[in-house]
Amino acid sequence: MTSLILPAPQEIVNLAVRIITSRTFFEVVFFPGFLNVMLSAAFLTWLERKVLARVQLRIGPLYAGPSGILQPIADGVKLMFKQMIFPELADMKLLMLCALGLMLLAFAPAVAIPFGEGLVIANMDVGLVYVFAVMSLFPSVILLIGWGSNSKYPFLGGLRSLFQQVAYEVPMWLSVLGIVMMTGTLNLTKIVEAQQRLWFVIPQILGFAVFFTAALAELERTPFDLPEAESELVMGWMTELTGPAFMLGFLAMYAKLYIMSALITTLFLGGWSGFGFVPQPVWFVLKTFIVASVIIIIRGAFPRVRVDILLRAGWTRLLLLALANIFVTVALIISGLGWVWRI
Amino acid sequence: MVLDVWSLVAIFEILVFLVAFPLLLFGWLMGEKGRDPIRDAPFESGQTRLGEARQRYMMQYYPYLIMFIAFDVVAMFLFTWGLAFLTVSLTQNYLFLIFIVVLIAPLAYALYLSGKREFW
Repeated sequence: MTSLILPAPQEIVNLAVRIITSRTFFEVVFFPGFLNVMLSAAFLTWLERKVLARVQLRIGPLYAGPSGILQPIADGVKLMFKQMIFPELADMKLLMLCALGLMLLAFAPAVAIPFGEGLVIANMDVGLVYVFAVMSLFPSVILLIGWGSNSKYPFLGGLRSLFQQVAYEVPMWLSVLGIVMMTGTLNLTKIVEAQQRLWFVIPQILGFAVFFTAALAELERTPFDLPEAESELVMGWMTELTGPAFMLGFLAMYAKLYIMSALITTLFLGGWSGFGFVPQPVWFVLKTFIVASVIIIIRGAFPRVRVDILLRAGWTRLLLLALANIFVTVALIISGLGWVWRI
Repeated sequence: MVLDVWSLVAIFEILVFLVAFPLLLFGWLMGEKGRDPIRDAPFESGQTRLGEARQRYMMQYYPYLIMFIAFDVVAMFLFTWGLAFLTVSLTQNYLFLIFIVVLIAPLAYALYLSGKREFW
């Protein structure tokens, strides 16, 4: 019976203080966790508009805050109060559920990525597989959104998203196989520790090229932004999302961009390792934003490819390069250079 | 208090849910209800809607789907091998390299077939 008695108010307060002051709470809510991903995604929407504007000789957002940096917040507030319009014959509940699911999926990989030595929410031994597994669920949710809106543009966007996954998924897996072979682990923290002497971008340059291309396809960014090709499919799978549902979908895409850049940094660019007195998380976030900027500049510079070209290139060039990378890695390992990336 | 890995993932996801769900809920509760045939029409570039969206589309990229189902499993096998690469002896690793080389032959044939659009 004692377990049924409620604890005294003082004990509840003590427990709350202990939770709020704990390191786990800080990690989950603030730094590597929720607010970090949320604010970085918002910042990336601003960065994208600004960089694309510079590429196209425009100025971009200007009025909200210094050089328009508060524009994402203004947009968020605006979208929050918009009416949600769902097309007739659409599956309203499915659409809302999928918008929510996209958000959950986009934020989920952030728990496994180390932002500094020991600065990771969940240091899992299968971190790499976890991140890939969560990321590979996106096209299914996008197809569900297309199916649920029962409108032609979103449905075509969803189908394209699925075909795109067919093109990039296998080369993406095989391109990181070299790193797994060299380190013998799937733990992202250990993969970063193995890069203290040499970043994996140098021995794994083929794998990096394949992974970066596949990441562009995974993120649905130009030149592989087929599912939301603005000039063909209006807004692709997001066409019939409105108000808060659109905001969640949009935020999810930019959170995914941030996390994918963080994953590229972790796997190939040495993660948190840097030099000087600058703290590790600063190095990590700096590298991540540099990668994200490159991805954004690519959007300003390249045209879109066709679906059949993407599928063909994914299964011939990308896959062959990824397989060649495995042979290069085997040659590197048996050549006795193993001490360079031994942990 | 040390939490295990998956409960931390669950806590993080619950936090995201607690932020994202009220947005949708209030957007839906506070918003105007009722149907309007013109406003609720699916977007088709200003034209009136022509039929359902859930119809049959041409699957001219079907062979790639079949290849994906076949080679995705192979990628998984290769991943388990890659994880054990440093612990397995060199001769057994060479067997896997031969496996990859052998794999290229059916891949090339599948690519040849999928390139022939008139078959599909």
